[in-house]
Amino acid sequence: MMLTLMINGDPVPYHGDPRRSLLEVLREDLHLTGTKDVCGEGFCGACTVQIDGVPKVSCLLPVGSLAGAEITTIEGVSNIETLTAVQKAFLEYDVVQCGMCFPGMVLSMTHFMAENPSPTRAELKSAMTGNICRCTGYERIIDALISLGADGFGSADEVCP
Amino acid sequence: MTLPYPPNNAVMNLPRRDAKDKLLGRTRYTVDDGGHGTLHAAARRSEVASGRIVKIDVTPALSMPGVKAIATHEDAPGLHGIGIADHPLFAKDVVRYHGEPLAVVAATTVAQARAAAAAILVEIDPIAPVLTMAEALAKDAPLIHPDWATYEILREGAARGGNVAWEATVVRGDTDAAFARDDVTIVEGTYRVGRQSHVPFEPRAVVASYDDGRFHIHTSTQVPWTVRHVTAKVLGVPEAAVHVTVPAVGGGFGLKFDCSLEPFAAILARKTGRKVSLVNSRREEQMTCLSRENADILIRSAVTPEGDIVGREATVLMDCGAYGGEQVFLTTMTAHTLGGNYRLGSVKIASQAVYTNTPPNGAFRACNGVYNTFALECHTDEICKAIGMDPLTFRRRNVVGHGDIGATGQVFEGDVLRPMLDLAIDTYGPHERAKKGPDGRLYGRATTVGTWFIFVGPSSATVHLNVDGSATLVTSGVEIGSGTMVQSLPQIVAANLGIHPDAVIVKTADTDASGRDLGVGGGRTTVSIGAASQEACAEVRSKLLAVASQMLQTPQDDLVLTQGRVEIRGRPGSGTSIQTVIAQAELEHGPVSGSGAFTAPGIAAMPGCAAGHFIDAIDIPVFAVHDCDVAVDPDTGKVEILAYRVIQDVGRALNPRAIHGQIQGGVTQGIGYALHEEITINAEGAFDQTCFSSYRIPTALDTLPIDYHLYEGAPSCGPLGTKGAGEVPILNVGATLACAVANAIGTPVNALPLTAPRVLGLIDGLSSGVDLSHLSRHWHENTIAFSK
Repeated sequence: MMLTLMINGDPVPYHGDPRRSLLEVLREDLHLTGTKDVCGEGFCGACTVQIDGVPKVSCLLPVGSLAGAEITTIEGVSNIETLTAVQKAFLEYDVVQCGMCFPGMVLSMTHFMAENPSPTRAELKSAMTGNICRCTGYERIIDALISLGADGFGSADEVCP
Repeated sequence: MTLPYPPNNAVMNLPRRDAKDKLLGRTRYTVDDGGHGTLHAAARRSEVASGRIVKIDVTPALSMPGVKAIATHEDAPGLHGIGIADHPLFAKDVVRYHGEPLAVVAATTVAQARAAAAAILVEIDPIAPVLTMAEALAKDAPLIHPDWATYEILREGAARGGNVAWEATVVRGDTDAAFARDDVTIVEGTYRVGRQSHVPFEPRAVVASYDDGRFHIHTSTQVPWTVRHVTAKVLGVPEAAVHVTVPAVGGGFGLKFDCSLEPFAAILARKTGRKVSLVNSRREEQMTCLSRENADILIRSAVTPEGDIVGREATVLMDCGAYGGEQVFLTTMTAHTLGGNYRLGSVKIASQAVYTNTPPNGAFRACNGVYNTFALECHTDEICKAIGMDPLTFRRRNVVGHGDIGATGQVFEGDVLRPMLDLAIDTYGPHERAKKGPDGRLYGRATTVGTWFIFVGPSSATVHLNVDGSATLVTSGVEIGSGTMVQSLPQIVAANLGIHPDAVIVKTADTDASGRDLGVGGGRTTVSIGAASQEACAEVRSKLLAVASQMLQTPQDDLVLTQGRVEIRGRPGSGTSIQTVIAQAELEHGPVSGSGAFTAPGIAAMPGCAAGHFIDAIDIPVFAVHDCDVAVDPDTGKVEILAYRVIQDVGRALNPRAIHGQIQGGVTQGIGYALHEEITINAEGAFDQTCFSSYRIPTALDTLPIDYHLYEGAPSCGPLGTKGAGEVPILNVGATLACAVANAIGTPVNALPLTAPRVLGLIDGLSSGVDLSHLSRHWHENTIAFSK
């Protein structure tokens, strides 16, 4: 089967088995290794990409279903010169540890913050359940996101000590 | 050693230099390194837990598409291990656990390698497996290693025998006399914990090549020098033929403190002459996880009405699985964890690593300490109940302080735990009586103490001072996510040389470039590599200042290194730039560099009281006080943590913000262990939990902001008085949650994890408790060394 994938704005011809996962094609064929292969069952969110702007786990997406869709991977979110606000907040709050979950975390939470610019701590925690992290214990990531809140949001008592 | 600079110069919340690329998805972990021309490998593993190998025929697999080479036991004759060499790389005549490697295949693609691995003809005559420690210690138990007595001993002095791979014992004082006193209350507790899986997001992975007669192993490890040593040992090649490099590691937590996949890839690289990548699938990673071991624990204490612990006898059985591994070493730790925290009039401790036909276990953050602290603190609360004493009062009275002796007779320096407890009481208030809330839930609180240690041992460092005024730090340290390599070490070097940490280049681990190191684990990196780095800096300073002294016509003692300059003390701007001095030094002597080394200072224990121990005393004790409030739903057994507080002995906090990250993450891992991470072993000897949907690690909804206080100033031989801070946060989480739940429901807790069904069973009185009928109440009968 031949189809054209739109990946980070570039058309990419694909000639393989349409049942292969997008994750496998990204990592093995295209060497876009920023998308991480962790649980392989749609549970951890480390392989999150955006399909037409919506976060999806790429390990469960057959490439054959993606003709015509805009696929954004972590490599397409920003570049070394211009980080997104979410990436900047994560840097500024020193929340990264091993780093394996963060590409997915960035893609999910960037979308969530765009849709919910002033979330509560509880809303952020719910939104983050699809992105598992083994290192950080989450709360400092949430502090970083709260700092991005709209005017009057993110009062000091919402941020951990 | 007096410092040539104010210690606070090394203290700052330096951001991580590796964070940006990690956030951009640009960091290349070992799993990301398998470009064009790289072969891919897959393992064929045993699907029975115990059996005699009749046949392994690789012929049909060899002719399959893409297959380049297959390796079996013939390619790796050596045995490896810790303390005893009991572990072959591949099963040879017998299989001892479900998942044991039988062969590995290298092929052009992963799919081809897996298909060929599955096509290897394997015939195994199954033998009934020994799956529990109770079975393994039964009188007529089959021996998992019938040839145990012939194995090479790598460390002398331990009692071994039967299915006991290793025994460590402590005997100090006369417990028989203590237990026979007519004024004591005897309190007994039995405890059991299951395994915990690390679940690093990067599984164990390696890329190996074979060039110019040497192996190059690029791997996701915490221990490059162990990988070098073990690979050479099992392959039967000189250690110098193995070169190990380590990129960013996507999580370790102790799992990568052992050599694992590396020798397989090395063999295949030599056979094919190609670069070979071997990555565990998630299922393999889970099924062969070198987990935190399951353990059975019996503690008996003789306590006076005033609350003195005059005698304590304990036996801890640690399941090592099919091979001894880390558990052999970790038997040592029981003396300092279960035997820690409190002053003991007399003590007997037996700690055994027990073979079973289950996957081998390994090291996991605060290994051994986590469950022994759970058992000890639950037991302590049960003692308080038995003698009618407030648990905080009892702990304040009995925690080890300055001049007190530990289980093995080491003399502790400094009062640390008691002031930490006082701080907890002052800050969090005294305990209120457990109560039922208006919502029908049961509310409880607990405060526990914990003793851990910093695992010191050898480290080396070289510092090169470059002509541009930057410095290059060369060590075998590995960045596993904890931040040591990108925060504390550059901070230490920068403070020593008067430059900014951004001007300190930190070389990634490379055994061809750096000296030997014990590895990244046990909270040792900042301490051991930091101390070696500080010594290397001292040599650099003295070389530099000798030249500057001539240039500035000022005695060396009056010169200071600050802000990239050599200044005359008290006269900012009087000196010259560090680059000028380096240039002059090069003219006179050549480039400026220094080297440093560190090892365990070797704190003394009481002679003769510890046997089978790898260390007799702990060089750098670390203490923790944890406190929490919980609410338990009596209808469902669900535990909610309402508040969690940590006071952690850190010596000196070099990067408080990074330590906060370790505390938040470490406590959360402990919450998983305490409440919902559970591994069960089925009749086939395999884990039931082989994926994320069945092994429940914490999500954002399972944790809460951890309140914390960094307790500074306790004695430490670490550089600038530091103690490692990343290992310890998990230490007493299981203990604290268990004690709080026990307090809330009014029933002792004796097993983890406290899943809702288990808690409900305790509330309803349906839990039958922990059956430790394989352990005797006569302590000596549980030992090899003292059994009569």
